[in-house]
Amino acid sequence: MSAGRHSLCTGWPWTAAAMAVLGFLYAPIVVMVVLSFNTSHVLGLPMEGFTFDWYFRFLGNEDVVESIVNGTLVAVACVVVSIGFGLPAAMALDRFEFPGKAIFRRIVLLPLILPGVTTGVALLNFFVLANVPMSLWTIVTGVGTALIAVAITEIFARLQQIGRSQEEAALNLGATHFEVFLRITLPNIASAVAGAALIAFAIAFDELAATYLLTGRDVTLPMQLWSMIRREVTPEINAIASAVLAVSLVLLVAGMWLSRGAQLRGTRAA
Amino acid sequence: MSLELSGLVKSFRGPHGTQRAVDGVDLVIPRGEFVSMIGSSGCGKTTTLRLIAGLETPDSGSIVHEGREITHVPAARRGLRMMFQDYALFPHMTVGENVAFGLRVRAQRGRHSAAEIDRLVDEHLELVHLPGVRNRRPNELSGGQRQRVALARALVTRPDVLLFDEPLGALDAGLRRAMQFELKRLHAELGKTFIYVTHDQEEALAISDRIAVMHEGRVLQYAPPDEIYFQPTTRYVARFVGSTNLLDGELAGRDGALGAVRLRNGTVVRGLVATGLPDTKVSAMIRADRIDLVAEGPSAMLSGRVRERLFLGTHDEFQVDVDGLDVDLTVHMSRRRDASVAPGVGARVGLRWAEEDVRVLSD
Repeated sequence: MSAGRHSLCTGWPWTAAAMAVLGFLYAPIVVMVVLSFNTSHVLGLPMEGFTFDWYFRFLGNEDVVESIVNGTLVAVACVVVSIGFGLPAAMALDRFEFPGKAIFRRIVLLPLILPGVTTGVALLNFFVLANVPMSLWTIVTGVGTALIAVAITEIFARLQQIGRSQEEAALNLGATHFEVFLRITLPNIASAVAGAALIAFAIAFDELAATYLLTGRDVTLPMQLWSMIRREVTPEINAIASAVLAVSLVLLVAGMWLSRGAQLRGTRAA
Repeated sequence: MSLELSGLVKSFRGPHGTQRAVDGVDLVIPRGEFVSMIGSSGCGKTTTLRLIAGLETPDSGSIVHEGREITHVPAARRGLRMMFQDYALFPHMTVGENVAFGLRVRAQRGRHSAAEIDRLVDEHLELVHLPGVRNRRPNELSGGQRQRVALARALVTRPDVLLFDEPLGALDAGLRRAMQFELKRLHAELGKTFIYVTHDQEEALAISDRIAVMHEGRVLQYAPPDEIYFQPTTRYVARFVGSTNLLDGELAGRDGALGAVRLRNGTVVRGLVATGLPDTKVSAMIRADRIDLVAEGPSAMLSGRVRERLFLGTHDEFQVDVDGLDVDLTVHMSRRRDASVAPGVGARVGLRWAEEDVRVLSD
């Protein structure tokens, strides 16, 4: 399109193929968002009229709101667990030699690779045997612990990248270990921590299988949607999904902005 | 008063078992001197520096600074400042904040007012010839400028001792030379002890008051540069520093400080015997720039044929295949005279030197 752009991937067949792929990916989402504003009760086009009704309706639906609150609580708790354990673990991996370190580094990703159903069934057995009543907290222990792997991987990679010399320089200049962590290590890894937190939040908020198996009476959003869809697909569901999409987009942009900020500052001095 | 290292040992657990990086280092570094530690990579020089800085803890041995034992004092409280190979500037802070870091740590809190910190930062950026950059970020500076910021950051807390870990390694040749002069100037101006690690023997010769040549975790020789250059005590030091010829042979006799080495072709070479009694298998060491190329004949000590001749700017380098020996001798001859007088490749030449330029060494 613009003159002077030369590459292998130009010409209309490429453009058409790219558009087709993008269309396939995004058209359903666009349709969903559009239908969430349709006045008709029946899913389908053409639009009968424009309305925010479905949004007000789901916001007025106590079950839905509660499931969103529950899901958010679980996701935030999962973030706290994953960062709270993942950050120290990543730092230990980065700077200490200990027996079993090589094995630990290899199996740390296992909980993430295992299907949620597997983790869910395993933990369900465990909690039943241990006589722990199911609740939102059992979800957090199940999903949150698996997400520690995300935090460890992200933060460890950043620590390896920045190396130790900045911290050593700060120690050498008279800073205590706590000051070094606060003023040198943390600012250097902040964007990695934020990135890990966002990923953990998104995964935890979405998780259905493990959540379904580990919860007590409480319901999270994916479970609520699941049960609503089984009865009937209404524009209300489209509205909920669209709202989740909007929030996700905001988080995504925030995450990109955060990591771009880190790049602009330069992740390394050398 | 001084910095004294005695019996320092430090081992690391590596993939191939435990290895002694530093294996019994004794050094006395007088206050205000510029001391370099040189050696090939893995010789233990950087580990020794890190032990002094407190970034590593020795397995045994002690470090005494101005009469105070600091072997187990945390790095933060040693008052020794280190310059890192990659400068280790803090990318999330401005240049000014970087330099001020050492003045703003908790241990220093309340000792300097904000105005005083400002003044000290400006003063030290000026000292390293880098005024007007305090609000920039490290990644907006060139390598040489970052180097200077790191130097200012180390100097601002007025340490007695500055430690340098190959600080010029990442700079190009011209900038390197300029920084060498700069460091020399700062050393003279500040009168602090500089301990400098480098693998570049020329750099060490150029800037140090004293050089410690290290090999396999030990100090082989610790002496002023000219002594290291002209009177190495071992073959390793001779080979590591400068362009050297080592002629292997047997000790044929001694007369006080003089010794005679019988080479394999029967020639006897006389020279000064290095301290310590050499065993019978010895080498005669002659610097490349101490050998003259002369006409063959009785005045020549050895003779041979020019195999290679390289023009190196300040001098020509000749490789001479010596009759009856399986080594080539390297000869450096300056080019003051008309170049056409110098022998060409294939020419027969005689080699001559002065007895006092020969050192008799063993391992």
